Amino acid sequence: MTLIEAAAALRRREVSSVELTLDCLARIEKWNPELNAFITVTSDLALKQARKADAELAGGMDRGPLHGIPIAHKDLFCTQGTRTTGGSKTFAGFVPEFDATVVERLETAGAVMVGKTNLHEHAYGITSENPHYGAVRNPWDPQRSAGGSSGGSAVAVATGMALAATGTDTGGSIRVPASWCGIAGLKPTFGRVSRHGVLPLGYTLDHPGPIAQTVRDAALLFEAMAGHDPRDPSSVDRPVPRCLPEEGELSLRGVRIGLPRNFYFDRIDKDVDSAVYFAGYTAEDLGAELIRVQVPDGEQLNTLAHLTLLAEAAAVHEPYLRKRRSSYGEDVRTLLDMGRLVPAVDYLQAQRLRKRILGVYLDILKRIDALLLPATPMTAPLIGQKQVEIRGEAEDTRLAATRLLRGFNLLGLPVLSLPVGFSSAGLPIGCQLVGRPWEEPLLLRIGAALEDRIRLPRRPPRFA
Amino acid sequence: MRSSLLPDWAALAAAQKIELPETSLQRLEALSRTMLGLRGMLDWGEEPAQVFRVDLPQPEPRS
Repeated sequence: MTLIEAAAALRRREVSSVELTLDCLARIEKWNPELNAFITVTSDLALKQARKADAELAGGMDRGPLHGIPIAHKDLFCTQGTRTTGGSKTFAGFVPEFDATVVERLETAGAVMVGKTNLHEHAYGITSENPHYGAVRNPWDPQRSAGGSSGGSAVAVATGMALAATGTDTGGSIRVPASWCGIAGLKPTFGRVSRHGVLPLGYTLDHPGPIAQTVRDAALLFEAMAGHDPRDPSSVDRPVPRCLPEEGELSLRGVRIGLPRNFYFDRIDKDVDSAVYFAGYTAEDLGAELIRVQVPDGEQLNTLAHLTLLAEAAAVHEPYLRKRRSSYGEDVRTLLDMGRLVPAVDYLQAQRLRKRILGVYLDILKRIDALLLPATPMTAPLIGQKQVEIRGEAEDTRLAATRLLRGFNLLGLPVLSLPVGFSSAGLPIGCQLVGRPWEEPLLLRIGAALEDRIRLPRRPPRFA
Repeated sequence: MRSSLLPDWAALAAAQKIELPETSLQRLEALSRTMLGLRGMLDWGEEPAQVFRVDLPQPEPRS
């Protein structure tokens, strides 16, 4: 059942919020020991919130489409009275006294929190092979990575342990797991969704956003999460438009979709290439115009993004790394140590170049409405796999997984990730739609049209 | 061959008593090499204050 289907069933009195919540909790009990999607399960709180939602709905009080819907929060969002570990040993005992703005907004919208999801330690990595809480396993093949850092959120949604979830994306952390688990994820425009109460990683790169089974579900969650927050200095005061695409709105007539000539299709698996091109031709079939475009060099953009993240994450973690060094896992500690060595001059020049490259992208996005790209060059690797082979070339798994995504965190542009096919091994393949700042509604409309036309299985057979 | 314009990452790490695996040192080397090339894209005529602007609070309007 999707979020939208559950919301409709609730209003037809075919199901109650308590029943939906119990179903999610039963799935968590059954599958979480194998998949490691949750760090903390909040059964009592969830049932209390669900009973309240049922009473309100029965009394004629309807808070909107999320009212009574069981969701999960990435364990990076502060939750009052419920521990928030950041996937780390460093904050293993941290119980916040306040809710993150996003948590507060979703609670006000009537959502029910079933728990806090597992992630790559401190959200600093894309495998979700967490040394403290276990590796998050991919429901399409439990020997494989779910992706990260929001791996637990993606697995929770893909298996029905929650009907939707929150995630954050600093270098692909919503889009990698959404893509490898066959679901939708949105990295909104920087400043659109408040970062207040989200444990930081990269000051200028962190983007909270929704993870959901379908594009339309993601649109509903995004609408509730977004909006100005004076407690986040980077939050932008702009009205949030209605984002949910109309049901059955398939026509993409008048929409111009750019396909890059360079970089983004240069070194990717054949199956990924075919699936993303198929999505492009599907968009064309629905009336969109496909336009070939030249984009700024992706490797250069990745270098700027990587240097920025190395330096910012080292600055964020400096006090903890000094005092609690041994509490960090090896891979994250190494990245933080690397960040301590990045010259200030390189960081500053990267910020100047960041602005310049954004200008080039904004010019490109005057000629087209969205760019269509693969999300990752390959499907989910095996857990523990350090290198992948793509078109005969060996690559570091972490670098390969993020090389098509990382740059858009630096530019702050909105990006929707959605499934567009399966590999010959039966693993999900995702694409990215990159848009102009603040134009999430258009990306969601294009994504929903593609999703409706391509019609892929929503869940791995075992979890259907 | 190492360029004299690039840092010696192993020496820098040792000076700060940081132990890094060889792959991390190679990654830092690759990043600094690309950054060196990217300096050609900088607009040296730009006003730095446009990039690194500090937004000070606005004074209250006088009554």
